[in-house]
Amino acid sequence: MATGTLYTYPENFRAYKALIAAQYSGAKVKVADNFKFGETNKSAEFLKKFPSGKVPAFETADGKYLSESNAIAYYVANEQLRGGKCPFVQAQVQQWVSFADNEIVPASCAWVFPLLGILPQQKNSTAKQDALVVLELLNKKLLDVTYLAGERISLADIVVFSSLLHLYEYVLEPSVRSAFGNLNRWFVTILNQPQVQAVVKDFKICEKALVFDPKKYAEFQAKTGGKQQQQPKQKEEKKPKEKKEAKKDEPAEELDAADEALALEPKSKDPFDAMPKGTFNFDDFKRVYSNEAEEKSIPYFFEKFDPENYSIWFGEYKYNDELQKVFMSCNLITGMFQRLDKMRKQAFASVCLFGEDNNSTISGVWVWRGQDLAFTLSPDWQVDYEVYDWKKLDPKSEETKKLVTQYFSWAGADKNGRKFNQGKIFK
Amino acid sequence: MCDVAVVKKIANCLGVAPGKVQLNDEQVVTRTIGQNKTVQGFATILESLARESKSEAAQNSTSTKEVKAQVYQWLEFAVLYVAPGSKDKYVSKQLLADFNKLFISKSYLVGNFITLADLAVYYAIYDLMKSLSPVDKENYLNLSRWFDHLQQRPEVHQGEPLLNFTTIYLHGWATGTHI
Repeated sequence: MATGTLYTYPENFRAYKALIAAQYSGAKVKVADNFKFGETNKSAEFLKKFPSGKVPAFETADGKYLSESNAIAYYVANEQLRGGKCPFVQAQVQQWVSFADNEIVPASCAWVFPLLGILPQQKNSTAKQDALVVLELLNKKLLDVTYLAGERISLADIVVFSSLLHLYEYVLEPSVRSAFGNLNRWFVTILNQPQVQAVVKDFKICEKALVFDPKKYAEFQAKTGGKQQQQPKQKEEKKPKEKKEAKKDEPAEELDAADEALALEPKSKDPFDAMPKGTFNFDDFKRVYSNEAEEKSIPYFFEKFDPENYSIWFGEYKYNDELQKVFMSCNLITGMFQRLDKMRKQAFASVCLFGEDNNSTISGVWVWRGQDLAFTLSPDWQVDYEVYDWKKLDPKSEETKKLVTQYFSWAGADKNGRKFNQGKIFK
Repeated sequence: MCDVAVVKKIANCLGVAPGKVQLNDEQVVTRTIGQNKTVQGFATILESLARESKSEAAQNSTSTKEVKAQVYQWLEFAVLYVAPGSKDKYVSKQLLADFNKLFISKSYLVGNFITLADLAVYYAIYDLMKSLSPVDKENYLNLSRWFDHLQQRPEVHQGEPLLNFTTIYLHGWATGTHI
């Protein structure tokens, strides 16, 4: 029985093929611990074993090496998975493995990767249509068969299933996938096999499709050393290795960059973690602001503020003409605060409403960790920020001091002389 | 229909010796193992068979409490509705339509694997499926797929000739030829 070590980053759909096959055959496949994508697989030792430097890669217990996910899956499978004794079924298994590689994976990547921010969005892209054609083919096939090759689950099912995971996870929302009833039935059947569940944990079928977000792509480019240099300096210091790696193989295949992004993805917890902490303590300031009068708390703010690692911003609502009742405008602000909940710990804001019913404006002063617009750090924070004009304030200028004092103490008027009406604090 | 012959077939399927299976005075199917141990009733007998079997279908049928309960429901349904209903011209139409609808979104009756429920319904509906014309079968593509999948297993067909579902594939190539 096949025994050995599999090198891969977590949640790699290509590695799933081998891991699921091993669940069926009982092959002892150990996933290498301490594998670091971009480091382990670029080391001289690794390249000696696997010259392509790609994962998944497999090292047998007796020191032989295999690369390419389909080959590894074949090696660790059993007779039944390979198509049984019948050469025709075996050939059908090969047919579907090729189909997955040549038809499904390219279409899936072209559709999903731009949405994940790994590839740029193409204009007039036919990716979605191409993928839907492939899905329709599978759907027709599965109308009158239970499994793709023969009457048992085989590598054909495992490989095609693994290749469809991204589509089912990110873009096939209920309204889209309802056209593929037979394919859905088959997908759910495979997904719920105990051997598959043991490998693909907590998989959730798409509820709402991802939409393209240019900022995500820009961020990814910055992270992997692309041409756009928007990323704050601190981030570069924290991940110098990845950057170097990415630079080295910049001309390499785009799928490598995609692999890297997928390898990075599960890590993201608090988006602010990537930035250094600095000396400004939000909790302390918020305590002073809540308990002391503005005469004390505002000078405290400027005394403690750390301009290296934190920034002050002025946000102005773009559609002030459309504001009607005061209470509705206030709900607009508090709603935004709620959606930004996870940002609370690393940010502070005072947003004010000036004027009266049918003649009012919203604007506010914001402070957060990092030098760039914080909303781009998490997709959860991007609901509201686009309806505001954002201006970064120079923390040293007198003007900023005035503005901060005015907004923190809820006084004065907007630039057209509308008087302060109400304020909301984000803390 | 859910009688002696079916119990024996399912016992074969599960790789278990059926023992002595017969109808008692009240026409209830009974299974006698050894000297005095008897089990009565279709569903109960099938459960006793499953306990003795190490086959895939038997293991699946007892994997969790929920599965067990759902399997039991289908066994009862097979005896009470499928077997008698499949002999009636009107009821059988409804049965076929209902099963076809069910198999739009499912590969098997219970869970995502073969269980006793599939076997019991398979044998209960076998004669009805056999009586269908190719055009009829095409009206129940999802049911046909499930049935064809089961009959391909050697332990299920047990040497009986396979029912022909091939015109379904023709239909896939040349839609509309049979309408």
